[in-house]
Amino acid sequence: MNYNASAGPELEPSSFPTQTQRVIPVMADKGIKRSSMDTDGSSDPKRAKTDPKYNKYLAHYDDNQAQNDFSSPLDQLERHKTTTQQATKCEDSDLNPWTGQPHSQQYFNILQTRRNLPVCQQRKEFLEMYHSTQILVFVGETGSGKTTQIPQYVLYDELPHQTGKLIACTQPRRVAAMSVAQRVANELDVELGQEVGYSIRFENKTGPKTMLKYMTDGQLLRESMHDHEMSRYSTIILDEAHERTLATDILMALLKQIAERRKDLKIIVMSATLDAQKFQTYFFDAPLLAVPGRTHPVEIFYTPEPERDYVEAAVRTVLQIHATEPEGDILLFLTGEEEIEDACRRINLEVDDMVRESDAGPMRVYPLYGTLPPAQQQRIFDKAPEPLRKGGRPGRKCIVATNIAETSLTIDGIVYVVDPGFSKQKIYNPRSRVESLLVSPISKASAQQRAGRAGRTRPGKCFRLYTEKAFKKELIEQTYPEILRSNLANTVLELKKLGVEDLVHFDLMDPPAPETMMRALEELNYLACLDDDGELTELGSRASEFPLDPALAVMLISSPEFYCSNEILSITSLLSVPSIWVRPNNARKRADEMKQQFAHPDGDHLTLLNAYHAFKGAEQSGADAKQWCHEHFLSPRHLMSADNVRAQLKRIMETHDIELISTPFQDKNYYTNIRRALLAGFFMQVAMRESSNSKVYKTVKDDQLVMIHPSTVITSPYDWVMYNEFVLTTKQYVRTVTNIRPEWLLEIAPVYYDLEAFDKGEIKSALTRITEKIRRRQAMKGGA
Amino acid sequence: MGLAAAENKRKLGTDPNNTRWSRNTDTFGQKLLRAQGWEPGQYLGAKDAPHAEWHTKANTTHIQVTLKDDNLGLGAKRNSGNECTGLDAFQLLLGRLNGKAEDVLEAEKKAIEEVKIGRYLASKIGTIRFVKGGWLVGDQLTETPVEETEKPVETAATETSTSSDEEAPEPVSKKSRKRKAEDTTREDNEKPSKKDKKSKRRKTNEAGSDDEEVSSKHKKKKPRKHRTESEENESQREKEATSASEEEVDAAALDPKKARKERREKKAREKQEKQEKKEKKERRRREKASSGSGPETGGSKREKKRREDKDSTSTSEDLTKASPPVESGASTPIGSGYSTPVLGSARFLSRQRFIAQKRMAFADTVALNQIFMIKS
Repeated sequence: MNYNASAGPELEPSSFPTQTQRVIPVMADKGIKRSSMDTDGSSDPKRAKTDPKYNKYLAHYDDNQAQNDFSSPLDQLERHKTTTQQATKCEDSDLNPWTGQPHSQQYFNILQTRRNLPVCQQRKEFLEMYHSTQILVFVGETGSGKTTQIPQYVLYDELPHQTGKLIACTQPRRVAAMSVAQRVANELDVELGQEVGYSIRFENKTGPKTMLKYMTDGQLLRESMHDHEMSRYSTIILDEAHERTLATDILMALLKQIAERRKDLKIIVMSATLDAQKFQTYFFDAPLLAVPGRTHPVEIFYTPEPERDYVEAAVRTVLQIHATEPEGDILLFLTGEEEIEDACRRINLEVDDMVRESDAGPMRVYPLYGTLPPAQQQRIFDKAPEPLRKGGRPGRKCIVATNIAETSLTIDGIVYVVDPGFSKQKIYNPRSRVESLLVSPISKASAQQRAGRAGRTRPGKCFRLYTEKAFKKELIEQTYPEILRSNLANTVLELKKLGVEDLVHFDLMDPPAPETMMRALEELNYLACLDDDGELTELGSRASEFPLDPALAVMLISSPEFYCSNEILSITSLLSVPSIWVRPNNARKRADEMKQQFAHPDGDHLTLLNAYHAFKGAEQSGADAKQWCHEHFLSPRHLMSADNVRAQLKRIMETHDIELISTPFQDKNYYTNIRRALLAGFFMQVAMRESSNSKVYKTVKDDQLVMIHPSTVITSPYDWVMYNEFVLTTKQYVRTVTNIRPEWLLEIAPVYYDLEAFDKGEIKSALTRITEKIRRRQAMKGGA
Repeated sequence: MGLAAAENKRKLGTDPNNTRWSRNTDTFGQKLLRAQGWEPGQYLGAKDAPHAEWHTKANTTHIQVTLKDDNLGLGAKRNSGNECTGLDAFQLLLGRLNGKAEDVLEAEKKAIEEVKIGRYLASKIGTIRFVKGGWLVGDQLTETPVEETEKPVETAATETSTSSDEEAPEPVSKKSRKRKAEDTTREDNEKPSKKDKKSKRRKTNEAGSDDEEVSSKHKKKKPRKHRTESEENESQREKEATSASEEEVDAAALDPKKARKERREKKAREKQEKQEKKEKKERRRREKASSGSGPETGGSKREKKRREDKDSTSTSEDLTKASPPVESGASTPIGSGYSTPVLGSARFLSRQRFIAQKRMAFADTVALNQIFMIKS
């Protein structure tokens, strides 16, 4: 049962190796704002606030009392007093108790497998506990069936058709929400979108009849912005809480508050065993129910000594397994795209040799990482190759993956796991304001999770490329929750919108570092989203409606002032998706030449825009978009999703009456306006050249030394540049850079560029000179 | 890091940590937090929260990581391999001065030597060895799997006890190893004095380790199946004397009845093509036997019996295995029997096996006679 997998692997922010988290990958929505984009045309935002009839979040008030017009065995049940026998009887009946339609044969088939799930053994226990407590911590290993079954058990107890209140089950990932909803709809023998639905960013598949709703954690958070009490729901189930996404953490803190106010709201927190106690303590010592999973034991191996080169060691281990171990597929964890492709190449070469020179079985090697096109991702589910000849050694497949395969994907048939102990993790440093994906050691919990992947189908083996001592001494216990690793500007804005006044004492499970919070507040203050007393401003309130970083949102909202909101809208969308540039290893030069066609001398933002316009032009002229993209080394997938994001953002702009205008292309200020508009959001991401002809820049105020990333198209950079992201590799780079003039800074962001606030240094003296110059020019004008 | 090491120059700003910002108490954020009742040095979050006991340093300051720009494995130090030499001798001297017992010192010395050899090998061939680290049942680490998981243990145990020696992670430079193996075999046959044998045996154990590598498992097992009862008894006696696994490897070499050995070898060679099938069958049979479900043929019964014998000796084997000094700082003993077979590269492995077979054929007069069709 791997619906995660069958729905096709989708991307996750943490798996974009080349992308920092500043951008929103469209396909993913972990830790970013999502929402309100699914506003349907019928609801008028102005009336929505006052009249529940037009507020979609309160829409259920209208028809909630509507009783079913058929007799159902459910009618005899009493809410919160049901028993397992009653529910089982309802499930066994010939008519579907929810729809009145006869059950299909498929339903009974599925019912059989459902009854065999480990969680089913404890249904009675679960119900008793559920009746007796408001908050319940539920622990179930993978494969216990908790995600699909528990919400249904709740359904048969809550009887939502009587109360009109929904049951929500949150998932950290969009794919999971969609595929689980589909699965549960099948299990209940109803149509997806009717009784069972899902709601994710950009997509709302629910209806007036919906009783059980799967949704991403972020989506529930967005809803609660408009409905602080979550009054739509009678039960909220937080699934995969151990993943500790930003949204789940905030939801937990909110629910903890709401639970005090709304005693009728039931909360179930579902987690993996590891930190269940922490959840219990956090939720007022809530009772715990544990269900064993269905996993096989995995034998762990360590190396006796540390490895000098973990990639090399990993490749060798894979070959060793292939040569000497019995049948079974291999899963190798590496950190990033480049490393994975390299390892695949090497394994392939060696295996070819092995097959040629000995009677080794064939092995197929598949890479797996977030930016891989879906079709190629899908290939990991192919069957292992057949033996080369009849009776020969069995073939196997080897999947080389990022930590995407740690939790989000379930691949059957994995028996061997090779774990070098590293992954790329997001890190945020509030002092230098850098959010980066860096290779760092995984946690013990992560290592166990990886090892567990080997025991899905039968007893497996996990080869750890480090010593037992390193495992015990060098790995931290738990992976740090996302809230400790991210820039919180966006989160703080959301919290403000959610009505959280006291940020200091907001009861988070893991409170972030004070410096991180300070930086977030400071950024929001400079962006004018918070006023000097820390209250949400009008601009901030509007910015929170956009599922974007505050800087991008502010840039978008203020773009009409620069007569280029259309263009800024396009650029924002392009910055919100993974890089549209394709640069395959075997055709780098050609790709760079093609990129040069779109290049604008003044910056990468403008180059992005040119490429997008060319793409739209090609599309309109009827050319085959895919072919065109292929020829121009652009990613059609990411361009399409940028297009999609653009449409969504455009809708939000329209609902907020933000004008969509452009400067005529013939106007000589066309590009200048855009560059100035960019600064309205990114004035805090500016760097000044250290000395003329130097390649080194210094970021304003934070004084970090950076270089312009080699991917830029700018050939003659100005003394002042603005950048979209700060990349940390062996050197510090700024990526996606545009030339700017310092005068603009003083004009557009006078508060941030208040000379009083600057410390003595080159940047201050440069700015002073410019102020002087402007003053003189104005004086001359005045005198003339 | 020596002078020849790659230079990794990086220009740092005057304040790379931006402490100026973090020390500045006038920032908007700091002012706001203080206004809401936060004091420097405190956690954010609810006052007196019961879950605060789980808070760590990460809740007070941003997570600090070291920038990793190499492929160094977890726990490996950059300068390992070219640290000061001679310090170990000095340490021994100090130990002696401090009045350590001779045998302790001897053990230490041995450990140091093994580390040296191990390091040399690692740099020369670089094989990957593994030591067992318990079982992951559910998400708990256990020493042994529980209940239903017993089956795999049994198979694993038997598998390893039969194969541990071949896989013994004590590789010696490959070419010399083979030669040595042969030499010792010959020597053993020439003068089978018991004491000598034992020490040699260990050497062969190490040396002959990857002669046969993959195929060895069944190659060896097969001939043993043809043994008579008396032989089996004999071997059992031997087992008692030495560890079961050691005996296994040397079984061929030590057998005093040379003729039989030759015959066996011949058979083995003849059945080379069928080996794969056999291996598969055997594995299946072993699995069946361990699960106790499949019908037991006479052969498998005997095999099972043998395995039982082995199991009974396995505890002592473990002890002897664990006692030899350990590699460098590794916390677990190497060669605990659970390691994956040593293998330089795949090509190397197959070639080696091929050469080993040829060599065996040439050393075997019966085989040669057969090849050249000479009637003896």
